[in-house]
Amino acid sequence: MEKQIRRKDGTLKSVSYAKWGYIFITPFFIAYILFTLIPQFLTVYNSFFEHYRVGLQEVGPNFVGLQNYKELFTADPNGTILILKYALNTLVLWVLGAVPQFVIAMLLALFFTSARLNIKGQSFFKTVIYMPNLIMAAAFSMLFFTLFSRVGPIQGLLENWGVLDHSFDFFAHKVTVRGMIALMNFLMWFGNTTIVLMAGIMGIDQSLFESATIDGANSVQVFFRVTMPLLMPIFVYCLITAMIGGIQMFDVPQVLTKGDGVPNGLTRTLVMYLNGYLRAPNYGMAGAVSVIIFIITGVLGGVVYKMLSAQYKDQSKKKPHRERKGNVL
Amino acid sequence: MKKLAVILLAALMLVSIVACKKPAEEKPAEQGKVFNIYAWNEEFKGFFEKYYTVPEGVTVNWIITPSDNGAYQQKLDEALLNQANAADDDKIDMFLAEADYIGKYVDSDYTMDISKIGFTNAKTQYEYTIKAASDVNGVCKGVSFQCCPAGVIYRKSIAMDVLGTDKPEEVQAAIDTWEKFDAVAAMAKEKGYYMTASFAETFRAFSNNCTSPWVDANNNLQFDPQITAWIEQTEKYIENDYTLTAGVWDAEKTDQMFATGKTMCFFGPAWYYNFCMTNAMDPDNGCVGDWCLVKGPQAYFWGGTWLLAATGSDNTEMLKSIFETFTVNTDVLNKMVKDDNQYVNNTDVVKAFAEDPNYGNTAILDGQNDIAVFYGLANDIKWENHTNFDQLLNEGLQNKMQEYFKGSVDKDTAMKNFYQYVKETYPTIVLPNN
Repeated sequence: MEKQIRRKDGTLKSVSYAKWGYIFITPFFIAYILFTLIPQFLTVYNSFFEHYRVGLQEVGPNFVGLQNYKELFTADPNGTILILKYALNTLVLWVLGAVPQFVIAMLLALFFTSARLNIKGQSFFKTVIYMPNLIMAAAFSMLFFTLFSRVGPIQGLLENWGVLDHSFDFFAHKVTVRGMIALMNFLMWFGNTTIVLMAGIMGIDQSLFESATIDGANSVQVFFRVTMPLLMPIFVYCLITAMIGGIQMFDVPQVLTKGDGVPNGLTRTLVMYLNGYLRAPNYGMAGAVSVIIFIITGVLGGVVYKMLSAQYKDQSKKKPHRERKGNVL
Repeated sequence: MKKLAVILLAALMLVSIVACKKPAEEKPAEQGKVFNIYAWNEEFKGFFEKYYTVPEGVTVNWIITPSDNGAYQQKLDEALLNQANAADDDKIDMFLAEADYIGKYVDSDYTMDISKIGFTNAKTQYEYTIKAASDVNGVCKGVSFQCCPAGVIYRKSIAMDVLGTDKPEEVQAAIDTWEKFDAVAAMAKEKGYYMTASFAETFRAFSNNCTSPWVDANNNLQFDPQITAWIEQTEKYIENDYTLTAGVWDAEKTDQMFATGKTMCFFGPAWYYNFCMTNAMDPDNGCVGDWCLVKGPQAYFWGGTWLLAATGSDNTEMLKSIFETFTVNTDVLNKMVKDDNQYVNNTDVVKAFAEDPNYGNTAILDGQNDIAVFYGLANDIKWENHTNFDQLLNEGLQNKMQEYFKGSVDKDTAMKNFYQYVKETYPTIVLPNN
């Protein structure tokens, strides 16, 4: 913004307020460049080197070009390309947790904001559903590990009821381990999503809902024709952040399966794979895995954003008279 | 020009004289005020705080990282690599190491010759503990405060039910080979008992008798016949329900040590009592006095904690006195045997207990003189076929095979998963058929 002020001698002096904006955002960019951007470039750089430590001896760095990437996409002794297997695991685990997370969060957000339902004790419920997010993921994981262990209470209870026989082991089956991870991620995150979606819905002008109802729309129609299009920016934001969080899924499965991704590596996520190389430590391979994760995140983020925002643009073109209040991002 | 050269030469000479003088001036080294110890559990910390009197004005810092998944080694390595640049008070003074990876540190410059700090190994220390702490040239870098011969600790009441006797000599005679041990396992099964409580319970009895190391001189991974024998035995035990699919440290296994437990045998050395058998010593649900120790099918040793002197320590006098306390101070060592049921690294002390007709372990056993049993086993321990990779290879093999024993994967897949694990963990190791 530029403004002109007349000096005493009659000349014009222009004052730029924009510079203050730049000054205020500088600290963030300096920190970002130092602690995020440069390390990111270094990661890419490292991925072209053979560089690891065996015990206290360091091997490399030797420039090997794309060798690390080639190795990542080479089949393991079982004939599986591990990074693809782990990417698929990550996707499955995320979808299993995210679908109920969004459905339940959306329902709760609608209930809590509904003027018709007018639920009492909202702050209490909001606190309760947010609670699991406050627990450290590792502690939450340990809790599940103990609950579902062979000598844990769940196994004992189910055995007493005659549902399971003693030979059953929750940690020996793909379905149960993945189920536990999905359940934990769902429990940890649905409260957070509910609150963000609620904020989004509350930002929509109430008169729109009223007029839709007066026009004869039922609640399903109101949701799909009014709420959803106007909520889209917030929804996309939630979805993309949840997805990035999903790709980076680590602590819950790591602690639950002690880093092994039992059974048969079917609950090992991409970041757990990365962690395996960081432990070694193998800087080259860890760099290559990181770059792949970065690419996947970027591509998926872009695709989801394009898909959903295009839809939203169509919607807003169709209904130009509707204000988009509260869509602050 | 000539003048300049002369001055220059003189200056150079002066510098060299000063430089030569320096080391002589450094003596006597001033002792630091902070003593940093790296460890992977609280075991030694307990003994240290109980028996060692810290010199006045010195603060002891314990940096404890659990060893699961190599976390302790990782943390220690980072600190050691940074040792040269660290401030004196932040430098590691002493760190603990286990048999499975001690070589990695002993064969490096990060540990120092303990004779340089004035400590001489006593004749009473077990030979293998000195060999383990010595580098390829025989330079010793630390001491062990314990000696770890191991045997079979069995439940007397279950042995009575299964074998009709609970006398150590007779039980030993019934299980003194693996064939006999297997036969007893079948008998125990018939009576509704488990022979062992973990698929990996017998692992150490096999792996510490290997005749070849995990990795040969050319970095090839190799399976010793003992390891193969363990896998074959465990397959049979799982198939016949002689054992459980729990890991060695799992609650499912240690729950079997309560009075209600159905397991006859546990495999372990003296540290096993305090470290793993607290359930058995539980005042309400335990079964103190229902246990005895025998050699079992195959003599072996398990673990051990070595105290290594870190290069760069500024507390050399304290290091020396710690080493002395836990190897030659007979007052302390006698107490450690009597009060803490340890098998200490001093042949005179343990011999006296072994020959004492009045000594008996009542903390967990039925008053049997377990030191006498361990004493008989300890002299045969040999330090050979160890590599720096042992911890993560042993752990990895057990974890991958556990999935097979639980029925999640077939044997071939489990084995290949293990190879993949080795490849990720130690890129330099050459895998079979690769």
